[in-house]
Amino acid sequence: MALSFRATTRKIWHTISAVKTGVVLILLAVVFSAAGTVILQRPMTDPEEMQRAYSPRMLHILDAAGLTDVFHTRWFIALMVLVSLSIIAASIDRFPNSWRFFARPYKSADENFLRVLPSYAKIPVPDEERGLMAAERAFRKLGWKAERIVRSNSFSLFVERHRISEMAVYVVHASLLLIFLGGIVDAVYGWRGFLMLTQGQQSNSVALREGATRNLPFAVRCDAAGEETYTDGSPKRWWSKLVVLQNRREAQRKEISVNDPLVYGGLRFYQASYGSTGKLAQLTLTATPSNGTVGARDINLALGQTMALDSETSVQLAEFIPDYIVVDGHVYTRTSDVANPAVHLVVTSPNAKAKTNSSVNVWLPEIPGLGENQQSPYNFEAKDLKIGYFTGLQVAYEPGQWTVWAGVILMGIGLTFVFYVVHSRFWVVPVRDGLGGVTLWVGGSANRNRDAFEQRFQKVVEKIKEELHAELQTRPRRTEATFAGK
Amino acid sequence: MARAKTEQQPATGATLISMVGLSVAFLLFMAFLNVVKQGNILSEANLLFAALIFYAGAGALYLGFGVTGTESYVKFASLATWAGLLANTGAAVHRWYQAGHPPFASVYEMLLSFVWTLAALTLIAEKRYGVKVIGTVTMPIAIVGVVLMQLLRTDVKPLVPALQSTWLHVHVTLAMLAYAACALSFALAMMFLIQDRVKTETFLAATSLFAVGIYAAILTRFENWGGLSVTAWDAQEKSEMFLSRGVRLFVTIPDLGWLMLIVLVAVAAPFALYVIARIKKNDAFIVTANRALFVSILLQALALIFFFLRAQNGSYSSLDAEGLYATNLAASPFILSGLIGGIFASLLYLLLLWRRPDLERLLPDADTLDRITYKTIGIAFPLLTLMIAAGAYWANRTWGSYWNWDPKETWAAITWLVYAGYLHMRITRGWRGRRAAYFAILGFAIVMFTFFGVTYLLPGLHSYA
Repeated sequence: MALSFRATTRKIWHTISAVKTGVVLILLAVVFSAAGTVILQRPMTDPEEMQRAYSPRMLHILDAAGLTDVFHTRWFIALMVLVSLSIIAASIDRFPNSWRFFARPYKSADENFLRVLPSYAKIPVPDEERGLMAAERAFRKLGWKAERIVRSNSFSLFVERHRISEMAVYVVHASLLLIFLGGIVDAVYGWRGFLMLTQGQQSNSVALREGATRNLPFAVRCDAAGEETYTDGSPKRWWSKLVVLQNRREAQRKEISVNDPLVYGGLRFYQASYGSTGKLAQLTLTATPSNGTVGARDINLALGQTMALDSETSVQLAEFIPDYIVVDGHVYTRTSDVANPAVHLVVTSPNAKAKTNSSVNVWLPEIPGLGENQQSPYNFEAKDLKIGYFTGLQVAYEPGQWTVWAGVILMGIGLTFVFYVVHSRFWVVPVRDGLGGVTLWVGGSANRNRDAFEQRFQKVVEKIKEELHAELQTRPRRTEATFAGK
Repeated sequence: MARAKTEQQPATGATLISMVGLSVAFLLFMAFLNVVKQGNILSEANLLFAALIFYAGAGALYLGFGVTGTESYVKFASLATWAGLLANTGAAVHRWYQAGHPPFASVYEMLLSFVWTLAALTLIAEKRYGVKVIGTVTMPIAIVGVVLMQLLRTDVKPLVPALQSTWLHVHVTLAMLAYAACALSFALAMMFLIQDRVKTETFLAATSLFAVGIYAAILTRFENWGGLSVTAWDAQEKSEMFLSRGVRLFVTIPDLGWLMLIVLVAVAAPFALYVIARIKKNDAFIVTANRALFVSILLQALALIFFFLRAQNGSYSSLDAEGLYATNLAASPFILSGLIGGIFASLLYLLLLWRRPDLERLLPDADTLDRITYKTIGIAFPLLTLMIAAGAYWANRTWGSYWNWDPKETWAAITWLVYAGYLHMRITRGWRGRRAAYFAILGFAIVMFTFFGVTYLLPGLHSYA
């Protein structure tokens, strides 16, 4: 029974660590992700549009299956976890073999090993020592370092480069896991929200996507916000001048724009939108006394503000209607766009008969039936309207993002090694035949890009022959008996 | 196109070269006369026109080579490609200078860069790897690209705030390079299949399915009374009309939907006949299927002509808004490229059907093609990775998150996963040859869907391109 349990575990392990399982899981992830792009997703779509696109029954089924929010459902996350497990298992399963290969390279070869290599060549040499020295020189001139391997009765050479490339695939797998880890951290601990500020306003409560609000330990104030446009009127740049207030003291100040967020305390504030609040920031009026005693003057008014026009008369800006319409003697606004604005002023002046102050309603433009513009001691003319603007800030907290970037960089390095760094090895073994002659067997192998390696191998062989030729030219047979007797 | 070439087959090498040379010279001379009248030689339009002429000349010569195998064609063809690439570079640089940003911001500018990359890769594949016949495939694509560019908007549009980032250029350059490498791996995989003695009728079935895919995608805009919806075109703004941000306004061209439906049936016929032939094990149906494909080419050409006539400067009513709205070919670049792509694929099949032994003689052997395909994907995959990484970094600075599950992002991830699957099967399970080639083709199909299909069919944050 115990054996069968062990057999079962081993079987499960083999299944998880199999490349085929990994590829099947990848394909499943592909299919579900594709479904998530074809079916409308709740987080990105208005509820009304969902209802328009699908019948209630269909919507019910889709919701139940989690297909309206594929990327956040439990089973998609479970699939991602399975993919991660598969990567880990496959790496663990293969790692010991690779590690043995990496830690204890096969250096000492014999002719039987060389014979099965894809690239090998035989070069006749006068004796072992001179053959090996020529080969060493050849490698050195090509920029490789040859290592002398002592065998029981002779020497051989081993040359290799970029052994690290054998490990690269684990680096890539580790980087992918890092990216997943960062994504999971962000999915669990991260949040995103929206903060809307008008000029001069400060706030610390962020409206989260899910509808809740979150209070920050600091406040953000918007000092100014604006839009720059191209000559054709299309937007060129949106910006906001933000100040971070920690305990009412200024902690940081930055002008942000699209593509250039403010970062404070791990939070990022992005310029997301910009627009008119439909509310008046400042109104400039020209006031002229009706009786013409004093000259005209310009005054600036904010909403609700009262200003003295002379020692007795004052004017208050009571209402601002951005897009007015009169229905049944009442003023309404149609939209919040400043399309057809109207202002309501209240002019207060002493009433000689009643010995009290009396107020007169002035509407600009004059609205018949409501405005008492004729009775006002002053005539007003609107000169300029300054509308208030809001800046929409997207707030994101993503503690996992640095893990993700680390993973991305690691993956870049790993992939470079996987595809472009070749582990190439050469063995040079002197082989004696029965007749007393010595032949240098040169073998080579590379873990990828074999045709380029074949060319390099041929070059090495040519170089060794060249060196051998030079050796024989300059130094004729000298120490013939050195190794012959061994 | 292919038929005209077969008639030229008896002509010697010199005849075709001099004919192409003469027509290139003639066209350049005519263009020059026009330019003299305008008084501005080095404008973008002129450079692009010169590129078109040279690419067309190169395309004719490559096709001549593909059909006859005359070596001397290739020399002049690559010369013409060089000249076209030069003019193309000029146009791109001019655009860059005029716009103040590299040409990656609109469909027009991306096509400009894509064609450039394609021409450059053609020369590399030819010189470095000796795949001479590749121009037969890539040059016609380049020609279609330049023709499309003539229809699309050419005025410089200022960049919206979200696009004003260095990362735009990094991201899009990497995307173009990666996609071009994927396209190359696709072409090489196809050639591998030819060398690997895949039956010609299998290619017939694949061609037919490809065309069915195109017409099915076009017919997603089929309206129930037989019309075909296309995007409305604002002639003043020279842009598509939008109902609201990211939501295009569609107008319905009456009756065109029926025509597309008929063509869909026609392009599906060869596949149906192929299936019947396989089931009944009767090769007579294959002969009929080849005839059906020939008929479908004629119908596809008809669909293209009618689409051209109806969509160019027509005014139609819309289902979503009152009144008549204008449309233009430039508003439907994807339908147009789909229609041309279908015809082009069918013509390539005819080339294979009629000239297979010659093609086999001209192409490198199957092993080499298999290896180069793998190498190309070895280039494409890191580029795809970097493209996604650059996009994520940029999104993090602009949209506030490195990953938004936007359809384009998701499909880029799907592309990445499919190629990752390919690499795993190849490296650890030793998938070589046909299975690897099919995987490479699937990968490219998904790349094309990510590039065109997502923009056309699935709305999202990537609404600018």
